[in-house]
Amino acid sequence: MIVCSNCKHTNISGALFCSECGAQLIGSDMLTTQNMAPDLVQEVVKSDVSHAKPVPVASLNTWITLHLMDTGQMLPLGDRSEFTVGRISEGQPIMPDIDLSPYQAYASGVSRLHAVIKQLGSRVVIMDLGSANGTFINGKRLNPNIEQTLNNGDIIAFGKLKLQVLLKTS
Amino acid sequence: MVLNRSDYYAQLGVLRDASQDEIKRAYFEAAQRLHPDKNQAAGETELFLEVQQAYEVLSNPKRRAQYDATLPKEEAQAAFIKYKVEYSRPNLVRLNEPQLIYVLLETSPRSAEEKLPTPPLNLCLVIDRSTSMQGEKMDIVKAAASQLVQTLTPQDIFSVVAFSDRAEVVIPAAFQSDRIKLQGRIQMIQTGGATEIYQGLEAGLREIRRSLDPKRISHLILLTDGQTYGDEQACLQLAEEAARQNIGISGLGIGSDWNDIFLDALTSRTGNNSAYISKPQDIKKILMDKFNAINNTLAEDILLEFKPQESIDLNYAFRLQPSGGPVALENPVHLGPIMQDTPLTVIFEFTIKSSACESEHVRMLDGALKATVAARPTPVPPLRVQFEQSVSDAPGDAPPPPSIIRALSRLTLYRMQEKARDEAQAGHYESATRHLKNLAQHLLAQGEKDLAKTALLEANNLERRQSLSQNGGKEIKYGTRALILSSVEDFE
Repeated sequence: MIVCSNCKHTNISGALFCSECGAQLIGSDMLTTQNMAPDLVQEVVKSDVSHAKPVPVASLNTWITLHLMDTGQMLPLGDRSEFTVGRISEGQPIMPDIDLSPYQAYASGVSRLHAVIKQLGSRVVIMDLGSANGTFINGKRLNPNIEQTLNNGDIIAFGKLKLQVLLKTS
Repeated sequence: MVLNRSDYYAQLGVLRDASQDEIKRAYFEAAQRLHPDKNQAAGETELFLEVQQAYEVLSNPKRRAQYDATLPKEEAQAAFIKYKVEYSRPNLVRLNEPQLIYVLLETSPRSAEEKLPTPPLNLCLVIDRSTSMQGEKMDIVKAAASQLVQTLTPQDIFSVVAFSDRAEVVIPAAFQSDRIKLQGRIQMIQTGGATEIYQGLEAGLREIRRSLDPKRISHLILLTDGQTYGDEQACLQLAEEAARQNIGISGLGIGSDWNDIFLDALTSRTGNNSAYISKPQDIKKILMDKFNAINNTLAEDILLEFKPQESIDLNYAFRLQPSGGPVALENPVHLGPIMQDTPLTVIFEFTIKSSACESEHVRMLDGALKATVAARPTPVPPLRVQFEQSVSDAPGDAPPPPSIIRALSRLTLYRMQEKARDEAQAGHYESATRHLKNLAQHLLAQGEKDLAKTALLEANNLERRQSLSQNGGKEIKYGTRALILSSVEDFE
């Protein structure tokens, strides 16, 4: 027997997905959330406003870097053209691509599945996925499920968690 | 490739090591089908004589041994298809409780280079003309049928039947040269009356049987928008008879009122499936897709015949591609077609009872695959297929193959909606609602926002009104089914 870690339903031995809640029971390392490796996150020395613009980290595939305004950390993102942003919470089968829980996501009001950031050709767009506390661009709240173009330097907020968008300018 | 004259075993459709009982059964079955008093297609009387000759030799152990000595080795024999099997676990475990195992079976033509000519069709369009079809739906169906007529080749045999509570033949089965006349006849179809699918099905099959020919792909496409009452069992029987004669049946359901569970049961008996047309505007596209798929068929039906194994249950089988759909668990099982460009992939779920795991090896399935290939009307020899797994005391540590994980991650969603609908039907609204909500979460996590929304909406419907909306239920079903298909595209 396999007990589902999500809903405690008892599944017959050999099952791969819980028949009750649909959560994956084994082999889940193939479909997991991509965690930000610590070496990808760089502490940016808080400098004075005169050289304010932090330089995005030069990584080959990085097309967007999120600058966490509160802590100064940088999250370079690449390798895929679409990322869902949210936070993992215990016992929920929702797996955002970018887990913000290490960055006070819960306290800032980030939903489990908050928004999606996509690369569409040369454009980069963000779409709120019906989050509880909203997604904001430069202080303006977005309507859920409608794509909105992001520009380099925009400040987005997931609930109260503020991030600056740094796009790779080609 | 030079085709050997098919041997006696292939003619009867049995394996080389078939028992006398099996040979006898196969002979009776073939003789009934091909007997000159009953057969319908040209050339079947000759086939009947060959089958008789084959039986005369094989039923006599002495003559059979002599004949066997003249045969080339079984491996050397050019079977038309090959197959590949993957298991969800590297081995079974000795447990005192039942366990599950998933098996993925991929069937494809033996040689990829071999291009067979596209066989001509024997196609019948069966159109529901009940009152509910009135207006836009019927107009678009007529336009779609007229467009289909344009794409027929001169070798195709084509017929149209319209039905309500009775059926009439609009275009009798024949080679069709005068397309303008055909389109005129299609335009004359009037709406009115109730829906009795049996009437339409029976008339349509009669048209197809008038020119039944193993060198053609015989297929019936049923277009309906309503429920049929009371004749479901009779319809299923018709489908089973059709399957024995290699006539495929597909169903296209328009709008929200038709019975998808019945249409799936009907079509899966012939290894085909139903499709959902939510808006009349999509009729044309889906009908043409279906038509192109039939034209693109390499083997119309792969039949899996197997002996039931002790302490092993085959719970569930689902065709992942081409055109995903549930597989009816009868023996023999109609797995579905192989396309020119797409192999046939089916996933099976077995429950192994603990008593089966006492030996070193467990054989889950022992049977044979048989292909019906219109482009190659000589009987294709059956191919032995076995699912076997060793038993050990500890579970193996190899993870399940990604192809199985991928397929199951989507199939799980499909089965959740199935479960929710069954539960709603049985009055267990609470668990049905819970399952729909779980489903919505997964759909959202996989980026299927629209489908997730529909699932949530239906969960609300269940809570408030204790019933699903007809549309929503179908949208979730065919939506999750489409997800399964997209999950196997990169299956190698």
